[in-house]
Amino acid sequence: MPATTIITARKIITMNPGLPEASHVAIRDGRILAVGNAEDMKFWPDAVIDTRFADKVLMPGFVEGHSHIMEGSIWPYSYVGYFDRVSPDGVMVSGLKSIDAVVERLKAVSDAMSDPNAILFAWGFDPIYFNDRRMTRLDLDRVSTTRPVLIIHASFHIINTNSFTLQKVGIDRSTNIDGVPKDADGEPAGELQGPAARIRLFRGLQWNALSDSVSSDSVRRFSRSAVINGATTVTDLHNELTELCLADFRKETSAADFPMRLVPALSRIGATTEQIIERIGKLKTTNSEKLYFGMVKLVVDGSIQGFTGRLRWPGYHNGAENGLWYIAPNELDEIVGKLHAAHVHMHIHTNGDEATELAINAIEAAQIAHYWADHRHTLQHCQMASPAQFKRMKALGICANLFSNHIYYWGDQHYAITMGPERANRLNAAGTAKNLGVPFGLHSDAPVTPLRPLFTAWCAVNRITASGRLLGPDERLSVADALAGITIGPAYTMRMDHLVGSIETGKFADFVVLEQDPFAVDPMTLKDIPIWGTICGGQVFQAPKP
Amino acid sequence: MILNAPEQHADQNNAIPLTVIGGFLGAGKTTFLNHLLRQASCRYAVLVNDFGAVNVDVALIASHDGNTINLNNGCICCTMADGLGEALIRVLSAPVLPEHIVIEASGVGDPWQIAEVAMLEPDLQLAAVIVLADAEQLPAQLADSYIGDTVRRQLRRADLLMLNKIDLVDAARLQTAHETLAGLQPGLRVIETRDAKPPAMLMQFDHATTPERLPLFAPEDTPDHGIQRWLYRRNIRFEREKLERLLDSLPASLLRLKGWCWIEGENAPFLLQMTGSRWSLGATEKSSHPLLTSLLGEDSLLIGLGTARLPEDAVLTALFESAFAKTSLEMPVA
Repeated sequence: MPATTIITARKIITMNPGLPEASHVAIRDGRILAVGNAEDMKFWPDAVIDTRFADKVLMPGFVEGHSHIMEGSIWPYSYVGYFDRVSPDGVMVSGLKSIDAVVERLKAVSDAMSDPNAILFAWGFDPIYFNDRRMTRLDLDRVSTTRPVLIIHASFHIINTNSFTLQKVGIDRSTNIDGVPKDADGEPAGELQGPAARIRLFRGLQWNALSDSVSSDSVRRFSRSAVINGATTVTDLHNELTELCLADFRKETSAADFPMRLVPALSRIGATTEQIIERIGKLKTTNSEKLYFGMVKLVVDGSIQGFTGRLRWPGYHNGAENGLWYIAPNELDEIVGKLHAAHVHMHIHTNGDEATELAINAIEAAQIAHYWADHRHTLQHCQMASPAQFKRMKALGICANLFSNHIYYWGDQHYAITMGPERANRLNAAGTAKNLGVPFGLHSDAPVTPLRPLFTAWCAVNRITASGRLLGPDERLSVADALAGITIGPAYTMRMDHLVGSIETGKFADFVVLEQDPFAVDPMTLKDIPIWGTICGGQVFQAPKP
Repeated sequence: MILNAPEQHADQNNAIPLTVIGGFLGAGKTTFLNHLLRQASCRYAVLVNDFGAVNVDVALIASHDGNTINLNNGCICCTMADGLGEALIRVLSAPVLPEHIVIEASGVGDPWQIAEVAMLEPDLQLAAVIVLADAEQLPAQLADSYIGDTVRRQLRRADLLMLNKIDLVDAARLQTAHETLAGLQPGLRVIETRDAKPPAMLMQFDHATTPERLPLFAPEDTPDHGIQRWLYRRNIRFEREKLERLLDSLPASLLRLKGWCWIEGENAPFLLQMTGSRWSLGATEKSSHPLLTSLLGEDSLLIGLGTARLPEDAVLTALFESAFAKTSLEMPVA
């Protein structure tokens, strides 16, 4: 008979309402054999007792329902964001509170590089925190005048460069396109926006940091980030899944020591709906214990803080023109209709409430044409949904995966600039979703914000912005509901709640090991609970000590 | 090279012309591109969002490698599934360079964003932003609260608008569509089409670096689509500044213009190209000079295509004669 192990813990929070708390969990073959107390374990007298976690708290491994493999590929480059951030190797990188501080960090990096001509690439910068003082080429000239210095913004849409780079790629005062803003002297200010400027930059340098972002190293780094942050099931929510990428995914996830279950969503870019249906069907037949296919991602609009999200009246609080459709409304109806009829599980990015409305309309039409009781189509981000929209979602069986981290990172900007007071208060309205019974998860969109499910839950529980504003107190969740939003909630939206998301017999033995009980700490310190590591399929992964 | 767009790079003699095809979903972009690939008046590289919609005749396909379809008429069709930048790099590193690159903007995208690529890349030059619109749907699209702003954004910087599917509307609705466009964008060049089929002459303009490849000399030189032609040949010299000013103020009914112009103070003709409102005036390649001399001597040659509203020949001729250099006024008419 295969070996049985019984793990004892100070407390096991199961997220199974039928047995919310336990002290022992028996595992066999990487799965949960039984959950209960010491007495319940008497049926397995020969089991090995593992007491390593006797003073710790176990929960189901966290489920990150919206993140990207770029969380693994971006970290070899220098982080220069405003907020502190922990690397996948457990190193705390401090946030930079001024442009001078960014320059200073990059200068040190540049000075330490042995090749004076090598490209210095950094990420995470967001000018929104500097009162509209934009970074210029002159700032980055202080970093280096002999090598290209590039900083990609937190939005991943804009790149700042130094004068050396501009000269090298042939962008100068005679350049006159929208994507290259000028300074008061008529020189390029140093920001490059839009596809034309980006293509010139990468062609001019014959180098593209963002093109070959997936590699075995990226997958591994992504999984280390998961371990440190307590996640055992993690999405890569928009991937064209080229053969090259699939080979890396299969190689890494089939390794015995791979510490998480990877759940990519197939992008529809560049293929017809019929091809997508065929591809996702084939991919599903290759699913293995740590690699799951089945979800297809559609992107309907842009982002709110980038003013590319589609809003209903009255639009942007500051009067900016409405955002962009990435799929035309009537095309969305057609795509959603076909995918739904073929029983393809959709994850639909909608940030603004107008995009959300169209996605709901499309699913409603698809549901009328072809009823599918348990489709679990999920609106991703769904940041501005109104109560009326949540009610329609409930009626139609649509799930929400809410971007709660936005409340902390951009809540102040949503209040003052993009949404104005009342609408900012309903940003990522998890309370409404909960009250109305809309199935939901809470996510980070890593690397846009850090992959840290406990922090995401903290945002939903406290709704505190970076400046300390309480944004929409009535939308706050209880700790229990927020913890469901990072475990069984997203597992349901991914059609994986029969496998992960709670500690129940038959599910994978996937746990996060916490040093403290989330129900016992002050909810304001939920995010600070130390994470010892994870257990995935019964295998223990200790996180490096910070 | 001198262009009305001052942002262009100075040395673009060998730059490949790039045309962007924009327009809302359903306007006929893919049909237009299919016509282009079938007619193939030059080696086009056509970049599309997905192959699925492009219906290239099987008989035309020489090879297909996943990202690129090679046609046996010399054209290629590439998908931009892995990004515009990657597709461009593939096209520009091919063993045989295309003579003209045509990029399909997404049905909800702003074609101007792609046009900027041609303005930044030293080996490309922007030929035109051509936007298609569905004559039947356009007024409703513009009034639609979901997509009206997207459609307006696409039209904002069009050099030439193809008002398509005119066979589906009656005269009154066609007139409404024209008036709507004129209200949105005064001076916008508009050409009417059915089934997104561009007049052959209009497309043959694209690549001709010497006049013998122009429809002027083609046997099937018959007017179609109600397209009017204006032809002008005379041994004169233009004054550069006057000519540039004139090119910025030509009547909107003149859709395309191509010519070999002698400019005062220069010892070789300049190549003039205009699509809709966008024109360029650049030095001709040295290698083409013997042929140009044998065909034209020292004459300036201009050929224009316009809508049914194109002014009479004498009016256009008078406009161009106002741009002569003073010295050439005494020269005899050829």
